[in-house]
Amino acid sequence: MRRPPLQKNHAYLGIAALLAFLIAIPFFASDYWITLVTLILIFTVYASGWNLFSGLTGYTNFGLAWFIGVSGYISSLLIADHSFSWLFAWPIGAVLTSIASIGVGYILLRIKGVYFAISMVALTEGTRELFGTEYLTAITHGGKGVPFVAGIKLSSLYWAILLLATLTLLICYKITSSKFGLRLLAIREDELAAETLGIRTTRDKIIAFALSAFLVGLAGAIHFTYQNYIDPSFAFSIHLTLTPIVMTLFGGVGTVFGPVIGATLFTFIHEILWAELSLLYMSVFGAILMVLILFFPQGLLGWMKEREILPRIRKI
Amino acid sequence: MSTKEPILRIEGVVKKFGEVLALDHCSFDVKPGSITGLIGPNGAGKTTLFNIITGVLQPDQGHIYFGGEEITGKKPYEIARKGVGRTYQIIRIFPKMTLLENLIVVGKGRERKVIEKAMDLLHLVKLSEKRDDYASDLSFGQQKLLSLAQVLMLDAQLILLDEPAAGINPTLQNELMALVHRLNEQGKTFIIVEHDMKVILGHCENVIALNYGQKIAEGSCSEIERDENLLEHYFGR
Ligand SMILES: Nc1ncnc2c1ncn2[C@@H]1O[C@H](COP(=O)(O)OP(=O)(O)O)[C@@H](O)[C@H]1O
Ligand SMILES: [Mg+2]
Repeated sequence: MRRPPLQKNHAYLGIAALLAFLIAIPFFASDYWITLVTLILIFTVYASGWNLFSGLTGYTNFGLAWFIGVSGYISSLLIADHSFSWLFAWPIGAVLTSIASIGVGYILLRIKGVYFAISMVALTEGTRELFGTEYLTAITHGGKGVPFVAGIKLSSLYWAILLLATLTLLICYKITSSKFGLRLLAIREDELAAETLGIRTTRDKIIAFALSAFLVGLAGAIHFTYQNYIDPSFAFSIHLTLTPIVMTLFGGVGTVFGPVIGATLFTFIHEILWAELSLLYMSVFGAILMVLILFFPQGLLGWMKEREILPRIRKI
Repeated sequence: MSTKEPILRIEGVVKKFGEVLALDHCSFDVKPGSITGLIGPNGAGKTTLFNIITGVLQPDQGHIYFGGEEITGKKPYEIARKGVGRTYQIIRIFPKMTLLENLIVVGKGRERKVIEKAMDLLHLVKLSEKRDDYASDLSFGQQKLLSLAQVLMLDAQLILLDEPAAGINPTLQNELMALVHRLNEQGKTFIIVEHDMKVILGHCENVIALNYGQKIAEGSCSEIERDENLLEHYFGR
């Protein structure tokens, strides 16, 4: 009943061609298109990073914006107020966010299900308040936000996010087909059974959480440098959490390439079709989220695997 | 470990759930290389005892020793890695993972070795042809076999089976018990919770009987069979 696997060489060729095309974009495309692909790539990292932890372990992270905002703020402030180059500010933001996420994970990843989800929302909201409070204005600029110029050309920023998105996908690909990835899936399937079979579930969850925080944080740092601006309600917006989740649900939770497909499609839809519907945007988004969860829970790639249009392997 | 030393020692274990005394000063030893039956009516505390041995629950009082080393209060994964494996009364496997993945995920060490061992175990439980199917596609009985194979993947020396024969057809039941004997000959120690007295008397050397969390009898199968008192409790005769 099994279809023969996709021709591996053809797949590699296709990926190489796509990569070459993406690398070349700044040489021939207009700024509009570079910007659009930049956004697609940023959201690819957000969605893949979310999927890496939540898609595999089943712990729904409703605090993705916390990764994005914390790293975005650290890097933006370093660039704006401490004359750091973006080259150092980005990784410092991501690493510090990742370290902080270990502490958060250590406490919150012991709570299951909906309580974890709610705690992450609460953490994000609380941190938003913290960055907006007037008492910390000297450090954070308070609620009025931080405009800044990082002195990076659009093309360089584009190549940076392209590199990060490529690395992120490579990491996701490697992990989903590794024993570590299987252990994360086992946590999703039955955490207690995993534990009595000798799996250190808490440690594995924290590692995946911290890796997700690093990748998403790095993309967040790039995102706000690209915007030349950060403020608390933008950095910790629920929109930054929900959009990557919807993208992942659409493409296929727990798959390697589902989040990319979702990110590409939804960024296009957002830019092209809904530019004028911005007020309705969140409600339309919420409706799509509900429809996906109810009727299409396995996502596009999951559905294709179920129908055996694609081979049922973890590497896709 | 000398052969005379018990592989498992339960010492004065007490476990309360609110007002319910699930285990009441329970103590016994298990000899290495033995097959011990654990019997008792529903609610006697058998599953709770397994949960305490494997670190899933903590006892209110008492101590557990495995291979002479105290394991009370250790985490489930630590106890599992020391060599205590278990299956659950309500099957716990990884449904949306393939059979092969269900085993590989448990394995330690080099990938090639792990895959080889997983395939050997799938052969052993006669499920190798279904290795790429999801575990959720298996029948109830096959899922129990897969669950046992996972425990074997762990290299457990002491294996706790919670009602392994319940709800599966006699053929599979016999296959499972034959497998238990074969593994026992290779040196593995078993504790088996079972309601079916036939299974217990036919396959176990020793029997421990629990009622209301207390050990009410302990001995060889023939001793237990002769114990009128117990039969009254157990069969309500
Ligand atoms: N998690 C729990 N919370 C509350 N009570 C429990 C729990 N687990 C078991 N019990 C109670 O403890 C007693 C022993 O249960 P159990 O160990 O499952 O019995 P058995 O496996 O021998 O049928 C029962 O009265 C049961 O209701
Ligand atoms: Mg029970």
